[in-house]
Amino acid sequence: MEIKYKVNRLQTTNEIRPLVDKHWADLRTAKERGEKVAWASGPSFIFAYAMGMKCHFMAGYSAYCGGIGAGEEVLKVAELAGDLPESCSYHRLHMGMGEAVARGIPINPQAILPMPDLMVAGRLCPEMSHYAEGLNRRFGVRVLPIDLPGPYSKDDMPRIREFVYRQFKEVVIPTFEEVCGKPFDYDRMSEILRILKEVALLRNKCWEFFKDKPSRWTLWDYGVSIAPVFYLMGNPAGITYYEKLLKELQERREKDIPAVAPDGEKYRLYWDGWLPWAFLGKFMRKFIPNGAVVLCGRYPWEFFPHPELIDPEHPVESWADLYYGMESHLTYSFSPKGTIDLIGELIEDYSIDGLVMFSSKTCRVMNLAQPEVIDVLDKKYGVPGVIVEGDMIDSAMISDAQIETRLQALFEMIDGRRKRK
Amino acid sequence: MEKAMKKIVEVTSNPYAYVEGLKEENNKKIIGCFPMYVPEELIHAAGMIPVVIWRGNESVTWGHAHVPPYDCGITRSFVDDAVRGKLSFMDGFVFHIRQCLQAGEFPFIMERHFKPAYQKVLYLPALYAGDAIRDFAITELESFKKSLEDFTGKEITGDSLKKSIETYNENRTLLERVYELRRGKPEILKAREVMQIVWSSMLMPKEENNELLKELIAGMKKKTVETKKNSIKVIPVGCLCQTLQFDILDLIEDLGMIIPDDDLYIGSRYFANKVGLDGNPIEALADRYLTKSPLCPTKGVWDIHWGDEAIKKMKDNDAKGIISILIKYCPPHACYYPDFKSKMDKEGIHEIMIQVEHEVITLEATKTRLQSFVEIIGGV
Amino acid sequence: MAIVSGVDVGSLCTKTVILNGDGEILSFDIIRSGHYYQGAADESIENALKTAGLKRQDISYILGTGYGRSSISQADSEVTEITCHARGAKKLFPEVRTVSDIGGQDSKVIGIGEGGIVNNFVMNDKCAAGTGRFLEVMASALSVDIDEMGKLYFASQNKLEVSSMCTVFAESEVISLFAQGHMKADIAAGIAHAIARRIIGMVGQVGLKDEVVMSGGVAKNAGVVCAIEERLKVKLSVAQEPQIVGALGAAIIASERV
Repeated sequence: MEIKYKVNRLQTTNEIRPLVDKHWADLRTAKERGEKVAWASGPSFIFAYAMGMKCHFMAGYSAYCGGIGAGEEVLKVAELAGDLPESCSYHRLHMGMGEAVARGIPINPQAILPMPDLMVAGRLCPEMSHYAEGLNRRFGVRVLPIDLPGPYSKDDMPRIREFVYRQFKEVVIPTFEEVCGKPFDYDRMSEILRILKEVALLRNKCWEFFKDKPSRWTLWDYGVSIAPVFYLMGNPAGITYYEKLLKELQERREKDIPAVAPDGEKYRLYWDGWLPWAFLGKFMRKFIPNGAVVLCGRYPWEFFPHPELIDPEHPVESWADLYYGMESHLTYSFSPKGTIDLIGELIEDYSIDGLVMFSSKTCRVMNLAQPEVIDVLDKKYGVPGVIVEGDMIDSAMISDAQIETRLQALFEMIDGRRKRK
Repeated sequence: MEKAMKKIVEVTSNPYAYVEGLKEENNKKIIGCFPMYVPEELIHAAGMIPVVIWRGNESVTWGHAHVPPYDCGITRSFVDDAVRGKLSFMDGFVFHIRQCLQAGEFPFIMERHFKPAYQKVLYLPALYAGDAIRDFAITELESFKKSLEDFTGKEITGDSLKKSIETYNENRTLLERVYELRRGKPEILKAREVMQIVWSSMLMPKEENNELLKELIAGMKKKTVETKKNSIKVIPVGCLCQTLQFDILDLIEDLGMIIPDDDLYIGSRYFANKVGLDGNPIEALADRYLTKSPLCPTKGVWDIHWGDEAIKKMKDNDAKGIISILIKYCPPHACYYPDFKSKMDKEGIHEIMIQVEHEVITLEATKTRLQSFVEIIGGV
Repeated sequence: MAIVSGVDVGSLCTKTVILNGDGEILSFDIIRSGHYYQGAADESIENALKTAGLKRQDISYILGTGYGRSSISQADSEVTEITCHARGAKKLFPEVRTVSDIGGQDSKVIGIGEGGIVNNFVMNDKCAAGTGRFLEVMASALSVDIDEMGKLYFASQNKLEVSSMCTVFAESEVISLFAQGHMKADIAAGIAHAIARRIIGMVGQVGLKDEVVMSGGVAKNAGVVCAIEERLKVKLSVAQEPQIVGALGAAIIASERV
């Protein structure tokens, strides 16, 4: 008899939406209250938070737009304004929002943000600086560029770390001081890091429940829970949220409740690349009926997987070390070598059966050498992988039939290998 | 002039055979530099031959297994060439991975499938202002120099680097001279030939190319041509490192337009501005990269508008329009283009964008666009 | 007074218009282009001559346009379909500022300035997405003819989303919607909106200015016209015979060149 798989939804994750909504609502109304607003890409928003500014974050905003279903209409405005469909959809999303306001084209009001007093463009990729440049050229936004190279090999990291640290000290902090008209608040930055550390330590405890067989929750549950270790950084509500989540997961373990009903998953999967914010449900409906559950991924693992390394006493140094230090090296996972190291660890830690390599057609930052990565890992761990093409928010880039075929192929490969064993 | 041109056409018609021959003749190592901005002078000073990597003219085959179809043509073509063994004469590669994301996958693919004897990843900053940026650019070049020294086992002295810079600067001066002469009488060379001349400099040892250019220039001075009256002058802007590259230029000229100058890579962007010869040569190389290389969407610059630069070039050449050549799946250009376009609209400049793609041949449709463009400028 | 002719050899259809010296249409003709453009042009000119009761020597100038414009051996000169559609639309609708032409295998939007001069244009010629060919393939997937498909739009109760704009993918999407038991009318409406989505993006790039004229064969599909109107929130002007706008423009330019 065929098993009818269903997802067991967590209760705690319902509590994230109000927190997230409040963040964006506060941002929307910040100017009315006379507060300063920043926008950011790359790991730079913490500096704005330290100065008490409300801050938008590139990927966070895109996730939010995807979540409230506003992506499509905003992208349409960008196209009207002349943006090319092949350009980064995050870029188009921001341009579209700005153009909609400038041209008086109605869009979902929740998707409209105030133009910032300062845009910090952390340039992990050219597109990240382009959207800042575009904001400057089109709407006169003040832009602060910083260069954030992703290291190809570990040997390159010390000199890049020094470079990035110098930019934080010599450019980022003085600019925020100038924009806000007050000295940089190192104490607040330390406090934010203290809270972040606490939240991330709790979050790591929750990650342990992905190791259970069957798993107690899914990557999608964690996907919606990223905000507290991301743009809700410094908000103590994150601690309460993860305490509650941890408790719910513990209860599941005690009562042996799996993430996938009735008896747990058939396939344990890894997810590479961006989370496709606007299509989380779409993908979920392709996994669960097959008894497949996604447990871990490169992007969701970007959010401070080693909180023990956070040193609130030395906030700026620690911040640079989290991204470029030899111990933590978050940016290294963008390099194919770093990707392979990370996925290898995840395969072993979480008993992964297969890899879903999500390849975004308009953002290549996480696509690099994916076919090679699959090949290397298959040879080393015997775990098969498939590339699934799509986009973070642009539905024109997603083909249902292609995704289904590839996922089916992955399940068949896993089955085939199990039989041979 | 004909003799020099013949050599140039020969070099660029089959760069694979030419570079392979070069290696045998000179008994020197060949280092492939992925476009753009690799400071070739350092490789030259290390006693090796730097060659700018080109896109092949064939369909991508084995390369499909390594790069997605939505990477740009030169990315796919280069990987395809490398994994098929068509570049086996190259001893090493330099990848400046900060100009675009796609370049970030080359080093890994090459390490796995090509196993070059030498490989260097450069992180030249994409931004241009401030001490931290300049110092890092210098650090990068120092590290590049050291890696070359480790590979050859020989020191690159300040003097030898200066000598290489002089040779490169001479090449830049000569290419400028070719452009200058042609600006006065554009009919003297087809745009295709001008690009081949620049491309030959990317492939040949600079000393040899300098001699060839001198011969060419002497011939260009002597040659007289009939000037076409009433032709519309246009400036192409963008990138040509793809299939169809020269066909597009032929098409523009066949429709009666004249291309007196360009803002292209391959084109004037390759040789624009020289490296300073006073002081520390590494710093001079960093300064050329940071302050003198032409504006381009791969760079993070917004106090200068690329559109303004293009308009200036157009006006200097008494041209009537701008033709943007945009390569499909070049994200930096795609992101910049709308702002470029709106600048043109605002200034009332005639501009048209032609998108080119590796393997997809739509010359007929491109012709319609370009012909309409001529009709618009000509007021049909 | 000189009698002139414009011939528009498109990828799907070839169109001929004959004008008298006062710029009035004496006759026109529309046939399938087939694979032999020169033959199609000759045949269409012949047909138009016959309808007008004229002989070849009565025509003093023939101007060719369209995808196959360089294959017309009888033409005295050629001009692109961009310029011709603008001029034809200007003749029919003097206040026109925007032309949206959806032809057999391409679609274009043309911005028109004072005096009927083309200001700017965008063109989709990379694939059959959102073109006449796209509509034909969809119609055959629905087993209806194009006219019927246009009418079906208005019977739709519940518009479906046809998300794919690729002809090949959209066809399989339509077939699967059909298989899921959706109504033909709802699918037809979804297809019309898929085309409209494509066009309004192009209109946006050119800049929407009233009056908007729609030309090309797809303008005969009332459903697509209505879908575009809904999205652009403007009324489209459609010529009685929208397919001959390009040939008309060509004939007008021909009359200036005699």
